[in-house]
Amino acid sequence: MSQALVSLTIDGVEVTVPVGTKIVDAAKQAGIEIPVFCYHPKLESVGMCRQCLVEIGRPKIDRSTRKIVRDKNGDPVIEFGPKLETSCTTPVGEGWVVLVNSERAIEGRRQVIELILTSHPLDCPICDKGGECPLQNMTMAHGPGKSRFLYEDKMHLAKHVPLGDLIFLDRERCIQCARCIRFQTEIVDDPVIAFSERGRKLEIVTLSEPGFASYFSGNTTDICPVGALTTADFRFGARPWELNATASICPHCAVGCNTMLNTRREARSQGRVVIKRVMPRQNEAVNEIWLCDKGRFAHHFASSEERLARPVIKLKRRGRLTATTWENAVKFVVEGLQAAHGAVLGIAGGRASNEDLYALHRLMDGLGGRAVLHDQMAGGEFVQQAGVGPGTNLADLGSGDCILVVASDLHEEAPIWWLRVKQAAERGAKLIVANARPTRLDAHATHILRYDYGVAAHMILGMLHEINHQKELDQYASAETKKVAKVVSKANNVVVFYGSEGLDYAASHDLAQNCATLLAASGHVGRANNGLVAVWTHSNTQGAWDMGVHPEPGGLAAALKGQKAAYVVAADPAGDEPLLTSLLEQVDFLIVQGLFLTETALAADVVLPAQSFVERDGTYTNGMRRVQRFFPAIAPNEGMRADWEILSAVAAAMGIDSARPSAAAVMQDIAAKNRDYSEVNYPALSRNASQWPHVGGKDIYFGGTAHPNHQGLGVQLTPRVERQKDISFDWAAPRKIAHKPRYLMVPITKLYDRGTTVVQSQVLGPRLEILRLYVNPEDAERLGMIDEGEVEVQWDGRKQRLRSVIDEHVPSGAVLVPRSLGVPLATAVDVKIRPIAL
Amino acid sequence: MLADKHKSEIKAILKKYPAKEKRSAVMPLLFLAQREYGHITPAALVEVAELLELDPTEVGSLIGFYTLLHDEAAGKYRIQICTDLPCALRGAEELAKRLCANLGIRLGGTMTNGLITVEEVMCLAGCDKAPTLQVQDADGIHYHENQTLGSAMELIAELMEKGSDG
Repeated sequence: MSQALVSLTIDGVEVTVPVGTKIVDAAKQAGIEIPVFCYHPKLESVGMCRQCLVEIGRPKIDRSTRKIVRDKNGDPVIEFGPKLETSCTTPVGEGWVVLVNSERAIEGRRQVIELILTSHPLDCPICDKGGECPLQNMTMAHGPGKSRFLYEDKMHLAKHVPLGDLIFLDRERCIQCARCIRFQTEIVDDPVIAFSERGRKLEIVTLSEPGFASYFSGNTTDICPVGALTTADFRFGARPWELNATASICPHCAVGCNTMLNTRREARSQGRVVIKRVMPRQNEAVNEIWLCDKGRFAHHFASSEERLARPVIKLKRRGRLTATTWENAVKFVVEGLQAAHGAVLGIAGGRASNEDLYALHRLMDGLGGRAVLHDQMAGGEFVQQAGVGPGTNLADLGSGDCILVVASDLHEEAPIWWLRVKQAAERGAKLIVANARPTRLDAHATHILRYDYGVAAHMILGMLHEINHQKELDQYASAETKKVAKVVSKANNVVVFYGSEGLDYAASHDLAQNCATLLAASGHVGRANNGLVAVWTHSNTQGAWDMGVHPEPGGLAAALKGQKAAYVVAADPAGDEPLLTSLLEQVDFLIVQGLFLTETALAADVVLPAQSFVERDGTYTNGMRRVQRFFPAIAPNEGMRADWEILSAVAAAMGIDSARPSAAAVMQDIAAKNRDYSEVNYPALSRNASQWPHVGGKDIYFGGTAHPNHQGLGVQLTPRVERQKDISFDWAAPRKIAHKPRYLMVPITKLYDRGTTVVQSQVLGPRLEILRLYVNPEDAERLGMIDEGEVEVQWDGRKQRLRSVIDEHVPSGAVLVPRSLGVPLATAVDVKIRPIAL
Repeated sequence: MLADKHKSEIKAILKKYPAKEKRSAVMPLLFLAQREYGHITPAALVEVAELLELDPTEVGSLIGFYTLLHDEAAGKYRIQICTDLPCALRGAEELAKRLCANLGIRLGGTMTNGLITVEEVMCLAGCDKAPTLQVQDADGIHYHENQTLGSAMELIAELMEKGSDG
């Protein structure tokens, strides 16, 4: 598809850009800087600040002939308007002559700065933005040295207004560009901040409850061109120029947002190097220049005081944990593993890096045991086969394309995907949202499908029926599935996001398989912008599958049967599921490797302190199978080792393999063994490409303070279907769902749960979810429950008292309970509910 | 609750706009709320937002933008005196000052009987008949031109009588 082009001259430079390009962007592409405040390349132009004023000359048109007037040399006569014009609102025109650095334009912009500064406090020395402030930079570059305005007329306004728990507003510093308000309205669709009053009295307000509590609120501080908006985390924490920056990958969900960890060695942290803030790092194919607030504000766990710092062993006789040296600990581990004679199980969590998981798999393999993933959601093999192809970018999806989101609440589980899927829908992509209950994405859906919890896979079969017309699928088809199946089959590109809300291992396996089959049947696999994406709970669950570490159908309880030793890496099965504690204790020898003294670690014979993702390097593979690298930002405590390093040392001590010197070397092993990763190596992961829009750098006013990406965009793996033409997909008949006489309690994911990685955040505290049981009003009436009353829930011989909330969005027959808040519930269960009389 | 008391009127207002563009009804609903309570109370703001599926912040932003929408309680009658240039040249500032002094309130204040508030406003587009003032009450806005202290006091006496009756 070729786009019509327009040529013009900007400050003597010939520029050719697509029709509709704004002058400010055309100039940027030609390397000519036009300063801006309100304009942002990701937002609609509004022309509010007037900082981008330029002179625009247009070819003179003869009114009678409608032809361009030419001079005696045959060149078009250029006519300049009487006034300067805003280059951010004016699309380019053929043959135009734009003067950015003419005397008039410079004077115009100088006066705008002078005007903006009339009420600016100029408290740069104490301002968080000082040092990376567009207004400060622009004043130095374009501003006048003196002001003609009267100091007495300066507005004196509130300087510490909490707009919410995370964002503070300094009313004096605000220059009324509305970038934050437009971001919340246009990009996030959560208009909880707005302007009130007019003129010099204009101010940003929130009247929402509980204030500026958007999951994306931190981004407004990046695009704020002054220090008006600051975060509770970084506010008065450090000066930007004192900070070192290390590239990292967010460890919180399967999106894999690229981040930059800003660190500083400081006296107030006893001379340690600490993370001062987490900033987004541009990767237009992953997170663009955004970051959700969990990624930004839940980093404190990595440098927590409660971290394990030395290996500890427990001699059974004494039953107490005793600190020891690494040498002793490894020896102890080796002895314990040897005594197990191959009856050994590796248990890993989805937070471990590819290198860790590979090393665990290798060790278990060498011992004659196996490694499993502590997770409930299945389907990783279908993502390997039919995942999205290289070159996939949700930003490319729009009119003519289709996105299906099934069994997932993206806004809670993977906020940046939610944002980008929503934007694809706004560009005209058909968005099918299928879930048992309404979610926030419904507001942007073109088609909403409801099903009863547990029958997600059945519904996909109904859609498949419309495509392959197999008789056996008749039973699953309905008018609704017919309609949406047509949307899917007609679309140019289709991406399917599947999650596991209300689904156990088997049901999520069926869902993944049927989604992959649907995609294959409708011709939407094996190329960019088509395929299956898993909304995993952890950052590297897909990587675990790729490394051969995945959950087993019977779960950990079944896998632990008959095992003499267990080796737990980056997981806390006993903490997640107390019933597993006794099973883990029954194992003769339990090794636990991790950051904290978890429930599982308390049951262990050896506890080995691992380095967190901020202290080491490694790679994660995100839900779209993009392998991305993170770097060490902080020197680890001497007593901590990287997971892969410990595992490699144990393997070497047992004569299984030689010890590997670095994570990069482990990745070389992975590439040699795993065909999917054959192109992956650390240099390849560090490869870069120029990205639009420009962020960071000298032109910080343009895109904001998100960091440019110099450390690599990662490598998106090729799905097997693209390589192996013989892969075929077949649907799986899902299990029949038995009629339930009781209620189905479904764990749902909330962004701010009370998991170890979140609860330690120093600023997210007030935003954390509170444990509640959500019940449908009719069910509540039937059960005789009241809102905010207490109920007793019984399942599998367990009892728990919970506070209940009546919520019309809960499907009838189900009760919802957020995960990681105190109810150890991995998957949906039948429960009995009894209200407790007051 | 507005929705209980003015059910049919709200329904009639909403009916004027396409169901998908409910938000367009925000101004008439705010007028309704202001007529009912004299100003837009926080509860009314939230109610209007809920009726139109808007965020309360969006509604609040409008109240902040429009000078004739009030989020603070004041007298039943708001005497709004223009003090922009043409009116000022014809003595509006002096008028406002003396009127307030007569009523025993400061500019922007409300009489203890809760009936009269005197405010200073920007141009009312009555420059040829300066000084101009307007009275904002539940019925809307009423112009009073070529004002003097005497005529303004007479007007206020009328309003006080009217106000204390109803």
